Amino acid sequence: MDSSSGQSEFEYLFKLLMIGDSGVGKSSLLLCFTSDTFEDLSPTIGVDFKVKYVEVGGKKLKLAIWDTAGQERFRTLTSSYYRGAQGIIMVYDVTRRETFTNLSDIWAKEIDLYSTNQDCIKMLVGNKVDKESERVVTKKEGINFAREYGCLFTECSAKTRVNVQQCFEELVLKILDTPSLIAEGSKGVKKNIFKQKPQADVSTSGCC
Amino acid sequence: MASTSKVGSSGDEESEEEEELEHFDDFTLASSWERFISEVEAVCRQWLADGPKNLLDKGAVHLGSSKNMYKVKSELKYLLKSYGMEYYFEVNKSGKVTDWDSIFHDLQLCFGVKEFLVIAPQSASGVVLDAPEASKLLSAIAIALSNCSSLWPAFVPVHDPSRNAYIGIQNLGTVFTRRFEADRICSQVPVKLMHLEGLYELFVSKFAYSTLDISMHIFKVRFTMKLTYQTLPYDDDDIREVDAENIESSEDRGGDSNNKTQWDDDCPWSEWYSAEDPVKGFGLIAIWSEKMVESSLEMAELENSSPHDAEKWILLPNISDGSKGNRIGFASQLCLLVDALDMSFEAQFMEDFVSVENPSSDNLKSMVIPSPTVLDRVLKDLLLQGVKIPDFSKGEHKSSRYIKGAPLECLFAQFCLHSIWFGNCNIRAIAALWVEFVREIRWYWEESQSLPKMPSNGSIDLSTCLIYQKLQMLAICIEKKRELNEDFQDCVGSNDQSPAAIKEDVRVVEGSTGLQTPDDNFDRKRDSLLTAEGLHESGTAMPRHNGKPENTGSTDQKPSECIRIMPDQKPSECIRRGSSGAVGSMMLLKSRQSMHAPFTQESPLMTEDMHEERLRAIEAFGGSFDFSAQLERDILSSDMSAFKAANPDAVFEDFIRWHSPGDWENDENEGSSPSGNLSVDGLKDNWPPRGRLSQRMSEHGNLWRKIWNNAPALPASEQKPLLDPNREGEKILHYLETLRPNQLLEQMVCTAFRASADTLNQASFGALKQMTMKIDQLYLTIASTLRPLQANIANSETIEDLRRLCVVFEHVEKLLTLAASLHRKFLHAPCLSEAIFSDYYNYYLPKMGMGSSEEVDVQKEFEMKLQVRNHERQVISNMFTPPTANQSWRKVLSMGNLLNGHEPILREIIFSMNDHVNGSHYATHTPSVHQKEIETYRMYMCGTSNDLRVALSVTSFD
Repeated sequence: MDSSSGQSEFEYLFKLLMIGDSGVGKSSLLLCFTSDTFEDLSPTIGVDFKVKYVEVGGKKLKLAIWDTAGQERFRTLTSSYYRGAQGIIMVYDVTRRETFTNLSDIWAKEIDLYSTNQDCIKMLVGNKVDKESERVVTKKEGINFAREYGCLFTECSAKTRVNVQQCFEELVLKILDTPSLIAEGSKGVKKNIFKQKPQADVSTSGCC
Repeated sequence: MASTSKVGSSGDEESEEEEELEHFDDFTLASSWERFISEVEAVCRQWLADGPKNLLDKGAVHLGSSKNMYKVKSELKYLLKSYGMEYYFEVNKSGKVTDWDSIFHDLQLCFGVKEFLVIAPQSASGVVLDAPEASKLLSAIAIALSNCSSLWPAFVPVHDPSRNAYIGIQNLGTVFTRRFEADRICSQVPVKLMHLEGLYELFVSKFAYSTLDISMHIFKVRFTMKLTYQTLPYDDDDIREVDAENIESSEDRGGDSNNKTQWDDDCPWSEWYSAEDPVKGFGLIAIWSEKMVESSLEMAELENSSPHDAEKWILLPNISDGSKGNRIGFASQLCLLVDALDMSFEAQFMEDFVSVENPSSDNLKSMVIPSPTVLDRVLKDLLLQGVKIPDFSKGEHKSSRYIKGAPLECLFAQFCLHSIWFGNCNIRAIAALWVEFVREIRWYWEESQSLPKMPSNGSIDLSTCLIYQKLQMLAICIEKKRELNEDFQDCVGSNDQSPAAIKEDVRVVEGSTGLQTPDDNFDRKRDSLLTAEGLHESGTAMPRHNGKPENTGSTDQKPSECIRIMPDQKPSECIRRGSSGAVGSMMLLKSRQSMHAPFTQESPLMTEDMHEERLRAIEAFGGSFDFSAQLERDILSSDMSAFKAANPDAVFEDFIRWHSPGDWENDENEGSSPSGNLSVDGLKDNWPPRGRLSQRMSEHGNLWRKIWNNAPALPASEQKPLLDPNREGEKILHYLETLRPNQLLEQMVCTAFRASADTLNQASFGALKQMTMKIDQLYLTIASTLRPLQANIANSETIEDLRRLCVVFEHVEKLLTLAASLHRKFLHAPCLSEAIFSDYYNYYLPKMGMGSSEEVDVQKEFEMKLQVRNHERQVISNMFTPPTANQSWRKVLSMGNLLNGHEPILREIIFSMNDHVNGSHYATHTPSVHQKEIETYRMYMCGTSNDLRVALSVTSFD
């Protein structure tokens, strides 16, 4: 592979998408994962986005994580964000039942509609477990839902950072287990016409 | 046999008897000639009576070759043969017969007549092959014409059609008759007749009775000559250099096509294609008008004279229409691009077009993607970084901006231009190029390399297409990212509120900024005493808000005031940070220190879609005042932080007075005056200024105040940047990678039209007004036709409109090619190029379907004759470049009057001899009838050294 400078060295580029109702804490989760902070954020307008470089399973990865707006008003513009996503994180608030039911009523349908890759890994995340006293959605319900839709499941809290890192890591490991997703991830890897080695396949270099 | 009808009734069985009877009726046969004469006479009388005007009404046929010539035709029978008699006449009878300028019918020129009759048999050859028949026919007509006392000359074609031979006769009143004869030698012209001398002698021999040596006598004859020259066709051989190279190149002719110079090599379009020169060459007519010649010696001299001595030069541009066959140019490629746009709705993503497995239709299967080597070459060409950023205003027309495209020299416009010439511009080829192109863009992004051909500064021009805006934004992000990498190489992530310490192998690249790089020197100055000098030097970053810059100047001009203010500052100046100078004489409400404007962050750049997104958000949230503050939260918070840092003792009201003076209502209408002219003493007297916040600012729970309360005092240089280059850059790549084919193609169509027009617009064509006008029109037409595309409402109707637009474009492109070609050929005689272009424009306009609605004969060739003025002759002469050795070898020169070594392709001469009737032997017989001079002999000669045509007319007394 090309010699590349410090920070931007990576083998795969994966796109992850976060969906779920407004206020379930998608942006907080993302912020917590990428910068380890928790802020009371204002609602996301349109789509927000973070990049994080991680090393998982011995592979250097670049994660592009898309945080969509939960408001229905912005629903229309998010369809293109499903394009090329290797992982989709469905977030609900364990203290608000409607955010959980909406996942099956609205969000799961959107995935079926817009996702371009059958193998795409889905993950169900119940957020705000720090408010245990206000919990209305049980862990059991979450597990059942995950089983039905064939996705990973975890509960976490952006505020206390419980399980946040593990949640993303789990998802990425699962993606790395899926050859078709690995192939997609290596496609996005950079290439330069002036420094090209004669048709060396980029994906092979990542298998060491 | 019609005459036998009378006796035919006698019965079938009497057939033998019939023969006898027919013989008996012989008188009908004998009078058939007379009847033919009277028939001719009747027709002629009718034509005479009608006159040209009525004949026109009766459907006279216009002769295309000459302007005012018309003819009428009548069929006649004589014996078993039928003849056609045609009367040729001019509607506008004026001008002399020997006037070369106007276009003549061949016979007019040959015999010096105006209107005339032609009688020819209705046969395949159209000529009378039998000599007795011809003279019989001619005398019949002569009798008929004299019967109706018409003076029309009449001609009969004779011999072989290729000889173009005629005999003719004309009654000139009762006394004179003119006889005509014309013939032609198609080959083996005698050497004597190749030269003017011999031709003169041929003419003289017609009236010199003796066969004595003609040169011994003096015969004054009138002479005029017209020579036609033709430039050599501009083919490859001519352009090649002469000399020894020629011999070499003849061997490897196939290989050296690259060295070939094209006429349009320095034209702006030559980067993309080479146009055929519409100017095929020039004809030149040189005319020697009436001269009296006395001897063959004089003629010999005349043959040595240069065409420059001729009285008149007339230029005949040979301009090809180019309408035959498919012309390759921007227009043809744009049309293909429109086809691609039409196809683009068939798939969701560009990759879908590239993949071979699932072409959704047969149409797609037939489309070929050029080989990877071609793709690589095009990409390299496209991404090759020039030494400096190109001039983006290059080629820009005043209306370019109305087309939502991109500047010609920029990366995206170049991508579009490369695409339309890539493969045959089918959607699959475009898709392949685009996918690779985006992959390359990602490389520049990941490696933090500057994007080629893109400006990495300035503001986002929202009149350009979105892709261009995005690429510019990306270029800016890359630039910022680079600064960031250089400055914060060692402390990645440290600018976030809490350090990134999740995992050792996890690095977060998020948030840190490089907006205003704090250098040590600057920091020290900022924190030290504020001297006038320090203020000056620190004014590097432009604050977004006004009020500051003139003030730094004023402190300089009024040192006394400066000194008086400075003691006030002392208590807090050690903690004042990020100030760009005091704001006039404004004071802080609470602490009574002078208010300082902070350096602020530039407001984040936004592309069109970001603006729209914000707009939608405002609409969605009901457009409340608080919500717009919410949208501006980052910016507000940043400004407040900077303000707090610069004015540690400031209160919210102070910020409002500086940031939004409209929201501070003054009771005394002073204090807020930013001019700074109020004396400090005056202010002191009125302190504190009485005023209050506006209604909306003082409402309970005002968001501004909330933000103010939460904003930390931080100078701009230490704040998080408003524009996060990492985030925005990645978003842009996502946009490029997931762009819908139709959205890409729509922008490509707009940009390609604009870039093509801008390219053509760079062509120099001098001051051709019509061309400038057409280009102006083209831009406006493009802009209005493309408008539906910009609004994303492309439908089949739009596609049709776009196809029509391509046709319009093609017309303008063709005209422009001509204009450029003419301009370069007539650099030193712009009047000529203007005249030619103007004529061609008027000829071409109806073909464009934009002029008058009536359908004009589109088949008509362009013809024009243009008189050349004396000072322009040299320019024309230079076009007749001396023939190369190769060319002169092909031809043996045998005529004189060479123009730069070119011999005339046609020489036409008219000799004529006039006689005073009363001075001649004719006069004795008709003393009073004809007292004027008449043309007794006239000879027209036309041809070259191996093709000579001679027409003679002789007036005689019968």
